[in-house]
Amino acid sequence: MLAPMESSAPPSVIRTEGLSKRFGRLTAVSSLDLDVRPGRVFGFLGPNGAGKTTAIAMILGLLFPTSGNIQLFGMDARTNLKAALRRVGAIVENPAVYPHLTARDNLRVWGALSGGTTPARIDEVLELVGLRERAKDKPRTYSLGMKQRLGLGAALLHDPELLILDEPTNGLDPAGIREFRELFRAFARRGKTVFVSSHLLGEVQLMCDEVAIVKQGRLIAQGEVGELLRRREAFIVRTTDPAQAVSVLGSLDWVRSVSEGEQGSLLVEAPAERAAGISQALGEGGIWISELRQEEGSLEDFFLEVTGREDGAG
Amino acid sequence: MPYGLFAFAVVGVLIITLVGGYIEWDQSSDTDPYASASAYHAFVFPYSVAALVDSGQYWGSMFVGILAASVVATEYRWGTVRQVLIRGQRRTDYLAIKILAISIVSCAMLLTALALGLVISLYTTNLAGEPITLDVPGEPSVPELGLIVARGAWGIIPYGMLAVMLAVVSRSSVTAVTGIILFLFGESVVIALLDGLGGIGSLLQDISIGENVKVLIAANKIGFSEYNSMSLRAQLSPGDAPDANVAALILAAHTAVYAGVAFFFFGRRDVTG
Repeated sequence: MLAPMESSAPPSVIRTEGLSKRFGRLTAVSSLDLDVRPGRVFGFLGPNGAGKTTAIAMILGLLFPTSGNIQLFGMDARTNLKAALRRVGAIVENPAVYPHLTARDNLRVWGALSGGTTPARIDEVLELVGLRERAKDKPRTYSLGMKQRLGLGAALLHDPELLILDEPTNGLDPAGIREFRELFRAFARRGKTVFVSSHLLGEVQLMCDEVAIVKQGRLIAQGEVGELLRRREAFIVRTTDPAQAVSVLGSLDWVRSVSEGEQGSLLVEAPAERAAGISQALGEGGIWISELRQEEGSLEDFFLEVTGREDGAG
Repeated sequence: MPYGLFAFAVVGVLIITLVGGYIEWDQSSDTDPYASASAYHAFVFPYSVAALVDSGQYWGSMFVGILAASVVATEYRWGTVRQVLIRGQRRTDYLAIKILAISIVSCAMLLTALALGLVISLYTTNLAGEPITLDVPGEPSVPELGLIVARGAWGIIPYGMLAVMLAVVSRSSVTAVTGIILFLFGESVVIALLDGLGGIGSLLQDISIGENVKVLIAANKIGFSEYNSMSLRAQLSPGDAPDANVAALILAAHTAVYAGVAFFFFGRRDVTG
């Protein structure tokens, strides 16, 4: 069982401990510990087949965990799943719609299931997801992006406290992706939580406060987006003598690594405030700098680095 | 899908009452007394009620089986079963509501087809110059006519539940629909093969759905009358048939087992569709 949260802190919206799922001999998720706090946009990243959808399906009660525990809003999901899911809106795998019903009728069906959904709320949601003009059309005539919009509409219909979205931007055009991003940020500003899996790392970097990265079912990194990017602070350095520069910089205890970059440049991993230290050390070694700039880290770089590192380790 | 099946049921009713009933009676009355009597009992009221229920039970089982299998399995294909469950719907509630909805739609359509058959029967009875009365050999009362319909419905339910079970277990509309159609046609063949084997073969025959439905349908006969039927099974004479109440209980047991398996699988298994 998960230990209860301290009474002073708001309960985590999603909390998993040792969550595992095996399909026969394949381990899809392995001892996954997640802690998603309220009011955040939380990115859940990983390569294809990393176990993201499996983990989401377990959180939503569609798959039964092989082992481990799940809490939603501080409640044990095994015993309080119905009550917890009433506070959740979700899209898993792909947006599920009744193809023979219009978009409005689809929302009516989902609204009836959730209860208390008025026609005005349906109009509001159709407007919010940009389907007002196509509300009378059947989803079989929709593009994937429009189905995503309808799926999001269904998830938002009962004004949930938590949105769990599996690749919600699949099929959306760039304007649609931006629209969704702003919608999720606005949702979080209202104190609500978005848990989103995505392949679009640039988008996740812009959208999310915090991310977790999984690979082969295991959590390999988790943290604030800013903090994760700072972990990869690095400088691009060009000098008159790259070989000697590697030797000089490699001897400094605050330099994490020095590697050769493109066109004779060096990539020096070191804290951001050490630019002057690099300059000084190279100057004292009689090496002249032609370029020294801080490399701008991206979530994509970080993602590739940590997932690649895992490959190397594995 | 339901509209296509309903159209099929309406065509079936027209064939039983008009083609297999009135027209055949009209053409064979001078040449073949046995064929004429069978045709007569297929369209003249109240014998027509038993004849319609006989064919209706057989093809209605196919109707309900296909409807149930496709409705349940299609929700997996569309992913809407996921969407319902992640809105906090309990799995048992979901499946129970789905079965209830299938039952309501099936009842409405089959009873409409039966009503249409009765209207045609009353019209052709009048056309044949026969009186419209319950005062015939066997003299069924109105409640007994209701019981005839209820027995027919009772014979459909196990097939419907079997279809639900196949859909839940296979999560595939193609597998479930194919499975129920093969079962409906294959069962009579297997029963025929079991006939005369004795021992376990005889026991399996005695507890099979088809054999017990045959017993229920035999109990429906009005005045021991043979009638033309569209069901692909031999008619039992009421005098030769075992107790219809026992048959009804065996069919209830089938229904309970299939429902139990369906609910067990749906409640305990991962929903991946």
